[in-house]
Amino acid sequence: MGLKRDVSLSVGLRYKGPSGYLTYILHRIGGLGMAIFISVHILSAFLGGKTGVYLNGIYENWAFQIFIFFCVLFHAINGLRITILDLFPKLLEHQTEAIWLEWAEFIPLFGVAAYVISSAGLGA
Amino acid sequence: MEITVKIFRYNPETDTRGNYVTYKIEGDENDRVLDVLEYIKGMRDGTLAFRRSCAHGVCGSDAMRINGRNMLACKTLVRDVGANITVEPILGLRIVNDLIVDMEPFFDNYKKMLPYFINESPLPEDGRERLQTVEDRARFDETTKCILCACCTTSCPSYWANGEYYGPAAIVTAHRFIFDSRDEAADERLQILAETDGVARCHTAYNCTEACPREIKVTKAIGEVKMAMMTGKV
Ligand code: FES
Repeated sequence: MGLKRDVSLSVGLRYKGPSGYLTYILHRIGGLGMAIFISVHILSAFLGGKTGVYLNGIYENWAFQIFIFFCVLFHAINGLRITILDLFPKLLEHQTEAIWLEWAEFIPLFGVAAYVISSAGLGA
Repeated sequence: MEITVKIFRYNPETDTRGNYVTYKIEGDENDRVLDVLEYIKGMRDGTLAFRRSCAHGVCGSDAMRINGRNMLACKTLVRDVGANITVEPILGLRIVNDLIVDMEPFFDNYKKMLPYFINESPLPEDGRERLQTVEDRARFDETTKCILCACCTTSCPSYWANGEYYGPAAIVTAHRFIFDSRDEAADERLQILAETDGVARCHTAYNCTEACPREIKVTKAIGEVKMAMMTGKV
């Protein structure tokens, strides 16, 4: 007897992990976002016609572009951090600092890009 | 001070799912969460089930989720987690009763790492110890500290998603022997860890390192094993 082994997504997300856990979650969201972006692209080219135009409208929307920029940029910078730490395991002792450095790069880059995309989107 | 403790309860004989029961008790900020649980079990509800043995952070019996994070109840003070405490079983293992989980799968993974010294070479001429330098000893010093409490393994999202993953604690054990200059089975262990459910499932979420009550840099140990696997050099 006993309860089955079961860790649902909501239970997992509620685990109070450290800063690395947040980047872990965002990395997955980034990957999923890019997969959605590419799928919508392929679908719109494949289906064409009115549906294609509708799908084009989704990924050409400025809000979606900000989201996709977030996904690509975060996935890239976080991936770079993971790769560097994987190649130099000694640096893993400074994982917290590495994550701060990552945010220090990501926030200004994303902030500027989000500003440019949203002002162009709102101005249009 | 008044301490409010919300505890996950599950009785396998009567319940089909777990529920939470809240207890309000008088305690001190310097009490440990284990003291709080002992008080509730002794004075309020004798049916409360949890594991404990040494009560001093040595045996690794009382790993649980305290306010959403894996900790040892005997090493966690009330003042560090606040007067509102939620206590739940660790994740990724079958719940047997209240805060008690089935540790068998965890120890099965541990056993897969050949967690014992392997050396078939003849003993040194004096027939006594196999000596090693201070530097060689230091290479695996940290991973000797593991108490197999499962705080790391059950904080790992890869382990939650796939119980076949050997998990951080098993890899820490393997690390302890792989980097021991006196041991001769490093290649064998690296091969085991190169399997699908080995180190490749570590996606560096760092939950394990933060959860370790012995302050072992678990992710670093896993990183060193990954590197040894890639380069073939120990
Ligand atoms: S009871 Fe032994 S480690 Fe906590």
